[in-house]
This record gives sequence, structure tokens and C-alpha cells, in this order.
Amino acid sequence: MIGGGAAAGVFGSLLGLGGGILIVPLLTLGFGLPLREAVGVSLVSVMMTSSAAAGVYLERHVANLRLGMTLELFTATGALVGGSVAFLLDERFLSLLFAALLTYVAFTMLQARSRDTALSADVPEVDTSPGNGPPPRPTVLDRLGGDGYQVRNLGRGVVGALGAGVASALLGIGGGIIKVPLMHLSMGVPLRVATATSNLMIGITAAASAVIYLIHGGIDPYVAGPTGIGVFLGATAGSRLGHRLDLRYLRLLFVVVLGYTALQMLVRALE
Amino acid sequence: MSGSERASALRAERLIGQLLTGVTYVSVALLLVGVGLLIAAGISPVSGGPGMDPGRLVSDLVGLKPAGFLWIGLLAVIAAPIARVTVALVAYVRDKDWLMVGVSSAILLVIATAIGSAIVSTV
Repeated sequence: MIGGGAAAGVFGSLLGLGGGILIVPLLTLGFGLPLREAVGVSLVSVMMTSSAAAGVYLERHVANLRLGMTLELFTATGALVGGSVAFLLDERFLSLLFAALLTYVAFTMLQARSRDTALSADVPEVDTSPGNGPPPRPTVLDRLGGDGYQVRNLGRGVVGALGAGVASALLGIGGGIIKVPLMHLSMGVPLRVATATSNLMIGITAAASAVIYLIHGGIDPYVAGPTGIGVFLGATAGSRLGHRLDLRYLRLLFVVVLGYTALQMLVRALE
Repeated sequence: MSGSERASALRAERLIGQLLTGVTYVSVALLLVGVGLLIAAGISPVSGGPGMDPGRLVSDLVGLKPAGFLWIGLLAVIAAPIARVTVALVAYVRDKDWLMVGVSSAILLVIATAIGSAIVSTV
């Protein structure tokens, strides 16, 4: 279990995912755990890795704390709804949702190269030169921006954050796959800041649903301990290995793994 | 944002960052001890662990039972981001940043609602 968690952590870290997307299939398909229990364990595991990384990002002032907290109010609200609904839904329906998520991620991985180019080219430029006359009173959006960029489309961000929170609570994922493109492409946040801020937001988002799973008895300490340790160690190793490996072949292997896992989850949903 | 406000915000960010990193490493250490005890006792992780019982946490810790260390470690993992928001709220009150005071308070209210609704639904 520690080894499986470590593999999920290494893969997740190398490919820019939290690892949650691999923990749930590992525990359900590999160890026969009920899906809801696997989601509870996954939530705690992604919190461990994200909190450690977010701490470093904050100390280095890479993450945008004000924007992150504003959006996490809505991811946490979404997680509260998702966590409450999760115990009312049929596990087969959740398996079907997970299979759809895995398929979506596999497709985005296949398109990753072209998307990376698009992402890096889409950082909006902001005119920060001083104008004439007294400075206008700063708006909420002005106050959420950072060095060299302004935040836009807060409404779209709020809706996306709610959706990311629901997905996180239902499927046990960090939700970076939704939040990073949302902040970067829709809200004009530089990619590096969006990634760091998304990481920061995972903690409180997952906490909102983890407390629900905890109180409902959906977190098994004997499973969560080894899995969490494995994911944490794997993610730490992955972040050090990242620049030494050729990710093209790894990404292709990951697509195959995701496709196979999606199929297994689909079979589980239809059983 | 004025120079002093910015300096204060940066100090708060550094403090919150250190808090998150520190609590995470403490929780990892507790979980490592718990997993070590689990292995030493020959308990299978899929054998079904005990539920969280606040009344037994201290006695399990003193008795070197794996569940005690695992539960305290897991609770620390969940508490870390909540503590982060609480510290941020205090910093924003000190800076009279009322927008962020409202946001931080609302986040804590959502967490409290999650806990309350889960307790009510299990009764």
C-alpha cells in the first residue's frame, strides 16, 4: 500500500497532477476498498502533499494568498455540497463519474504538448505604467491581483471553483485539473502563480469534505496512514526527479494506464 | 496597498507558510510512527481500522497503539489548512483588511457547517 501510494505520488508529481486521480483506482481496484472509503483516504493524502508544497510556495511568495482564499471560499462550499451528496449517491454512479474523469484526463494528457504552448503564450500583459491624475479607488479585482498581473472574470472563477469543489469531494481529487486552467486562461493569472495557488486551495477544499467523510466513518486510519505516507514520499521524490526524466514517454504510459483504469471503473459501474 | 501593508502581508504569508510546512512534517512523523507500529504488530491495512474515538486517543498514544498515532496524524493533516485560515483571519483583522476578514470568516463558517451537518446527519 505504501508502494502503491508512492507510485501514485511520483506519477502525480511528475505529470503535474496531485496523485488523487490514481489513489482512488489503486484502493478500489487494487485493494478492493469501497469507492467512498477510497475517496476519503485520497482526500487526506492529497491534503498532505498539497499542504507541504503550499507552505513552501507561501514562504517564497509564489502563491497568491488573497486570490486563493477568495476562490477557496467557493471550492469549500462546493466541497460541502459534494461531501454531503456523496453519501446519498449510488457507488456505481460515482464509479461512472470517475471513469469519465479518467477519460477526460487521458485526453488532456494526449493534447498536453499543444496545450502547454497555448498556456504559456496566453499570459495577458498588464499596463502597470502610472497614468495622470489621482489613482482610482482599487476595486476588488485590483486587490486580488499580484505583481505584474490583474485578475479578471471573477464570476467565471467563482462558478469554476464551485464545480472544482464538488468534483474534489465526490471523487477525492485535488481539482488542479480544473482550477489551474481556470485561473490561468480565464482569470489572467500567470501559470506559475495559478499552479501554486491551486495547490494552496486544495487544503481547505479537501478539509471541508474530509471532515464529512471522517464523521461518517469514511476514513480508515489503517489504510490512510500507509497510503498518505507513500503519496507524500512519492511526491517528494517526483519533484526532485522531474527535471531529469523525459516526460514524453512517461506521459504516453500514463495515458495507457488511465485508459485501462477508466475501463476497469466503467466495468465496476456497470456490474 | 501601501509599503507597510505589503510588508505586513508578506510577513503573514511567511508565517502561514511556516505553519503549514511545520504541521505537515509533524503529521508525517506521527503517521510514520503509526505505520511502523502497524507493521510491527503484523496488522494488515485492509483488516479494517477502528473509527475515530476522541476519548481513546490519549490512551492509545500512551499504550503505543497504531490507531492513536494514525488518528492524531490524520487529524493534524485536516487541521493544518483550517489553522492556516485562522491565522490569516487574525492577520487580516490586525491589518484592518475587512474584505479578507469577511472571506476568512466565511471559509471558517463553511467548515463549521460541514462539521455540524455531518454530525446532525449521523445522529
